[in-house]
Amino acid sequence: MNPSTNAPDAPLRSRATPPPQGPIRPFNLPEVRADKLTSGLRLRTIQRSEVPLVSAALVLEAGESLLSRQAAGTAVLTGDSLTGGTAERSGAELSEAVERLGTGFQVSTGWDATSISFTCLAERLDETLSLLAEVVVGASFPPEEVGRVRRQRLAALQQRRMNPASLADDALAEAVFPPDHPYARSLSGEPGSVQGITRDAALAFFAERYRPGAGGFVLVGDIAADDVFALADRHLSAWKGAALPLPELPTATLPGTRPVIVVDRPDAVQSEIRIGLPGPSRGGPDDDALEVGNSILGGAFTSRLNMNLRERHGFTYGVRSRFAQRRHGGTFKIGTSVQTEVTARALAEAEGELRRFVSEGPTPSEVAQAREYLSGIFPLRMETTAQLTARLAEVLIYHLPDDHHHRYRERIRAVTPEGVRDAVGRHVDPGRARLVVVGDAKRIAGELEDLGLGPVEVTST
Amino acid sequence: MFPIRTERHVLANGLTVVLAPDRAVPVVAINLWYGVGSRNEREGRTGFAHLFEHMMFQGSAHVPKGRHFELVEAAGGSLNASTWFDRTNYFETLPSHHLDLALWLESDRMGWLLPAMTEEKLENQRDVVRNERRQRYDNQPYGDWDERIQELVYPEDHPYRHTVIGSMEDIGAASLQDVREFFETFYLPGNAVLTLAGDIDPIDALARVERYFGEIPGSDADPPPIPGRHDPGPVIGGTTRDTVRSRVPLPRIYMAFRIPPVTDPAFYTADVATSVLSDGRASRLYRRLVREQELAKDVAAFAFPLATGRSLMIAWLNGYPESDPDELEAGLVRELEGLQDVSRDEVARAVALSETRLLRQAEQLASRADLLSMHQQLFGDAERLNGEVERLRAVTPEAVREFAATTLGSDNRAVLTYLPGEEQG
Repeated sequence: MNPSTNAPDAPLRSRATPPPQGPIRPFNLPEVRADKLTSGLRLRTIQRSEVPLVSAALVLEAGESLLSRQAAGTAVLTGDSLTGGTAERSGAELSEAVERLGTGFQVSTGWDATSISFTCLAERLDETLSLLAEVVVGASFPPEEVGRVRRQRLAALQQRRMNPASLADDALAEAVFPPDHPYARSLSGEPGSVQGITRDAALAFFAERYRPGAGGFVLVGDIAADDVFALADRHLSAWKGAALPLPELPTATLPGTRPVIVVDRPDAVQSEIRIGLPGPSRGGPDDDALEVGNSILGGAFTSRLNMNLRERHGFTYGVRSRFAQRRHGGTFKIGTSVQTEVTARALAEAEGELRRFVSEGPTPSEVAQAREYLSGIFPLRMETTAQLTARLAEVLIYHLPDDHHHRYRERIRAVTPEGVRDAVGRHVDPGRARLVVVGDAKRIAGELEDLGLGPVEVTST
Repeated sequence: MFPIRTERHVLANGLTVVLAPDRAVPVVAINLWYGVGSRNEREGRTGFAHLFEHMMFQGSAHVPKGRHFELVEAAGGSLNASTWFDRTNYFETLPSHHLDLALWLESDRMGWLLPAMTEEKLENQRDVVRNERRQRYDNQPYGDWDERIQELVYPEDHPYRHTVIGSMEDIGAASLQDVREFFETFYLPGNAVLTLAGDIDPIDALARVERYFGEIPGSDADPPPIPGRHDPGPVIGGTTRDTVRSRVPLPRIYMAFRIPPVTDPAFYTADVATSVLSDGRASRLYRRLVREQELAKDVAAFAFPLATGRSLMIAWLNGYPESDPDELEAGLVRELEGLQDVSRDEVARAVALSETRLLRQAEQLASRADLLSMHQQLFGDAERLNGEVERLRAVTPEAVREFAATTLGSDNRAVLTYLPGEEQG
């Protein structure tokens, strides 16, 4: 490319072709410092001084996949009640103290971990950490707080059952995993299990799983790394406990025959479609090829699925696919919401795109474009202190190498079309994929049956 | 980064350019605000500003259909657009060596959109938008809440009476002729602000902007006035109500109020009052209704930054399955009116939370660029953004009390109640 054509004041010779790019400026992720506090807690810090903010995340091996079906929801409920009070303060007083500092503790529980995160002004980090320590050392789970959170969770489950998208996600999970597998249920449990979670259960879960030996702490922002180490160590020194072992999960396998599951939602104007399978764990050798492959199939706006279902046919506002990779397996899922009248056609198109993609693989130019897309948007995922914190937290939760993100673009750029085809072929078998449609059964069941993808099984909510 | 320093220029064709260099990361955010939104729509064409936004991604004279997204994604960029009451914004963030690509794409659709418009593309995007409406409104519990609230708060001749998404019928009626007229009326350089934030050199960047946008002709004609009567008065003039029985999981109450527009200094009082009510767990609504009384499962409130006549504040709460809707409403009224005894500490807490939030918004290049565009478009001064924290700090407890007394009473209240059950009628 001739650099002179990219001079800022060069006349525009023609609008007809995209302009040449300018000189590339390298993007380097800031350096991560790794330490271990005296309590055994792993510490990762990044110093950045552009903004007077600090973001932090305390991650713990306290996810829902630890729990049996009978106890499902205990991790979520424990996380939600965590800021309900401490030895020194009621829940209301704690909220008041934290928010007066201009911040708040976000507690979020997933399958693999619970994370307590916040972003505050750098000058208020010391006080915020002292409150965080008060919580992780001495959360008291007052009975009225646990009782209220349980009631909130039960009402939230009721909301899930009336939301077509979450209804479809839950029906797919149930179809893809065996009943004794945690991933067969929704993350926050089921009404029967949540109803039975007591304060004692939350206290016990807290005592067993909120331990520095099984956790990690990330701090990113406007503070010198030496200060951070001393500060974190000082505040968290009273917190003790070694990691407990994590249970193994059952393996998920699917037989080759399947029904098309229709969850009836009478008079619905759209149908929620899901196609899904069990997927690989996070941190395996195929991760990068799968990410590139998914971007081409249904991850990016210009993916095959979206170009077909949205831009060619106008069936939907959008369609996406994704691999949700967890510590012990995960899922692969295509999801969209389409006009009722075109349900069967849309399912056939989506299923066909999946089959074609798995059998033929991507074209070299698709792979080249996806590599550029993923490596280009990488800096955008690493822009803010909160984003950097979240990325480092993943490294700790999944025990990824410390240079995992630093080498991301290098790995993505090494992905080949053959590599994508092979990796997708290893993990995605379209013939076994489960098909779920949430919609108006009386209008869609017949056409779905005619597709011949499997016998239609109608369930009501 | 702070204060954010900008350079501002106006091209000969009227395009306002805001340059906010920050070379920490080799990324640039491009943000283009057009001063047109659903408020500008004529009768029978509700939803058109948003449908038009979709058409802006269907190619232009030199960009074939589908290429816009393809080129930006292949350059490693992210992109989107959004339509709201007062404006439509288009934005992309990409590696800074692809700045020219973004400028080329944005200038091509600002200057040369119409030659690429076809009936087939319009048909396709009418379908996509109708599916967007089905997905977000018609197939969702509570999905029509904003349609109902807007009708309760604004009179028939107010531009905020109808929603941004518009009606199914109007979306279906949009024609290529409408596309042409809308483009020629509103998509003019003089009706737009272009902001570049991030890895740019201002002199170099301005020359590039001039190169791509400079040849787009300007227009002496101002856009036509916004239809309707803009100021319906400071209060609704009573309590307006709508009660809906439908397939919803939990009873839910929305309460809405007319408040001063974002361009009025009094808007900051409304903003702080809203934070006192609903920001965080020490907020009034959470503390009292969720935590102490266990009346509500959750609560929320927002003061929308709207510019045309009167803006809108909304509070809502979800009850539990067995909740009595009258008790829910009475509880919410009690806390809103109770704001008349707000304390200094409560205001300080609300301002502290807002300060952190503002910093976080400005930290991200894309939202920094959007905020700069907004302040330039609404106030003619992008750097006004730097004074936001001070303006919030200046709000006194007395002002919040006065706001509660004059604005949150029964003479300015719209109440929308959803009850679980089967639809009637």
